[in-house]
Amino acid sequence: METERAARISAAVGGQVGSLRHSALVTVAPDRVVEACKLVVEDGQYYHLSTITGIDEGENISVLYHFWKGGGFVTVKTSVPKSNPRLPSVSASLPAALFYEAEVMDMLGVVFEGNPRMGTKLLLPDAYPPEAPPPLRKEADPEKIRKMMGLE
Amino acid sequence: MSESKGPVERTEASAGLMQYSPENIVPFGPVHPALKEPEYFKLILEGEKIVEVIPRIGYVHRGIERAAQDRTWIQNIYLFERICGICSFAHSLSYTTTLERLTPFEVPRRARYIRLIIAELERIHSHLLWLGLVGHWTGFETLFMWIWADREHILDLEETITGNRIHKSFATITGVRRDLPDNIDVALKREMKYIEGRVDYYEGLVTTEETLVARTKGVGRINQDVARRLCPVGPLLRSTGIARDVRVEDPYAAYDEIVPDVKTGKDGDVASLLVIRLEEIRESCRLVTEAIDKIPSGNVKLTVPRVIPEGDAVGHVEAPRGELLYFIRSGGGMKPERVKIRTSTMANILTATEMLRGHTLADVPVVLTGMDPCFGCMDRVSIVEVDKGKLWSIGGEELRKYGIDQYGARRRG
Repeated sequence: METERAARISAAVGGQVGSLRHSALVTVAPDRVVEACKLVVEDGQYYHLSTITGIDEGENISVLYHFWKGGGFVTVKTSVPKSNPRLPSVSASLPAALFYEAEVMDMLGVVFEGNPRMGTKLLLPDAYPPEAPPPLRKEADPEKIRKMMGLE
Repeated sequence: MSESKGPVERTEASAGLMQYSPENIVPFGPVHPALKEPEYFKLILEGEKIVEVIPRIGYVHRGIERAAQDRTWIQNIYLFERICGICSFAHSLSYTTTLERLTPFEVPRRARYIRLIIAELERIHSHLLWLGLVGHWTGFETLFMWIWADREHILDLEETITGNRIHKSFATITGVRRDLPDNIDVALKREMKYIEGRVDYYEGLVTTEETLVARTKGVGRINQDVARRLCPVGPLLRSTGIARDVRVEDPYAAYDEIVPDVKTGKDGDVASLLVIRLEEIRESCRLVTEAIDKIPSGNVKLTVPRVIPEGDAVGHVEAPRGELLYFIRSGGGMKPERVKIRTSTMANILTATEMLRGHTLADVPVVLTGMDPCFGCMDRVSIVEVDKGKLWSIGGEELRKYGIDQYGARRRG
């Protein structure tokens, strides 16, 4: 049932259906994310946004929105280039995303345009060096960051 | 030069705060090393009333998601268990359940039953711990003492079965690490009966005891609309009447064979949280008793290779505090490429800010306990009263006393 829904949504927003264990997956372009999430919530009443996951893929950063209402998940996936990691925020229609987006911002440096928490840190210490890469990026070296912060 | 009547000069320190004047800002938190999950809440007050709450978390963010990338699949079980000292088994269970989706192996039926028993014992002890804390923060110290003594019965059982009271190190990929000890069913049934009896007593107590009712009824109220917008999980969500439970709607362990009855409230306040958690304890006792009666014989784990096939998987379990989500990516090697963890409290924080709005400073301890987060933050509260330019600090103990005194005064006067 989740797979059918994923197919319907991806047809509506010009995305692709993929696979992820225990979840239907819709891959969409970054500018269609808000629309796709809205469709998942309205069409299937998947109003529970479980979380947003960010993954460093090398050149790109993948962002996954996991929705759940019983049974398996429905996941909306998009990816942004590391050189310009910007995405529209879904927090206007889904306030639950406020902190999840802030977490992805802290950990992977993806800027969610329209999220009011982008200016402040949520999880990282205030003293985290601005010139250091965000900690979950592949190029982040914990040893170097510790030195930058004067911890060694 | 004397400009005695002029306005108070703005200093660097106060400049940021002045924009809220004449409201008051109460920095609430952030950290006490003795407890779990410190948080920081900036409370903006109008007199006694809370008008806005700005949370800031991350004070004990230990980079576990990153650390996991440098450890093997097996080592990670014990790493993730250390995220939480109360629901440690929920973490290892969520991790292994999600990971097993990437492997072709089926968890033996006996192991699934044992996982259910441990998960439910953990729920009982977590809910009892929470109920004791409510007793503590409302000034009902006797309740705290009674309940924490009852909790020891559960911890002893957990120690007998797993070898450890808190960090059980019990779940493993495709099963559990050892079988149940001989004749454990007798002890399990005896203790479940004992806990059920105690729950009956506490239920009568929390719904009739005058102070507890005054401190919790109508306090921290949320409705279904708020729940749909902010997506809280666990008892907090169920207190609004939405019957959502991962155990029933997306069964793992043996919950497809032993189905829990989901308990819901309708008021969405701290009082209904009290009742829901007590009912859940009773339900957990029933599940454990049923599981030990029906448990099949057989293996408790399989021998699995050290590498996990390539792929992404997502999964969750119902921890005592609600849905606990794991996302795992395997590159086909001995270590994960990415593990993402969404704990229950992370999902509940936004809702907690909603619960606090409109209440008084005296309600803060009870409302925040209602959500069942860390209480470490309580031990370092400083109050800034901007318009008077004063700054003072009160510790958790003083704030607790303040709450008790405020309610005492209201009742007397």
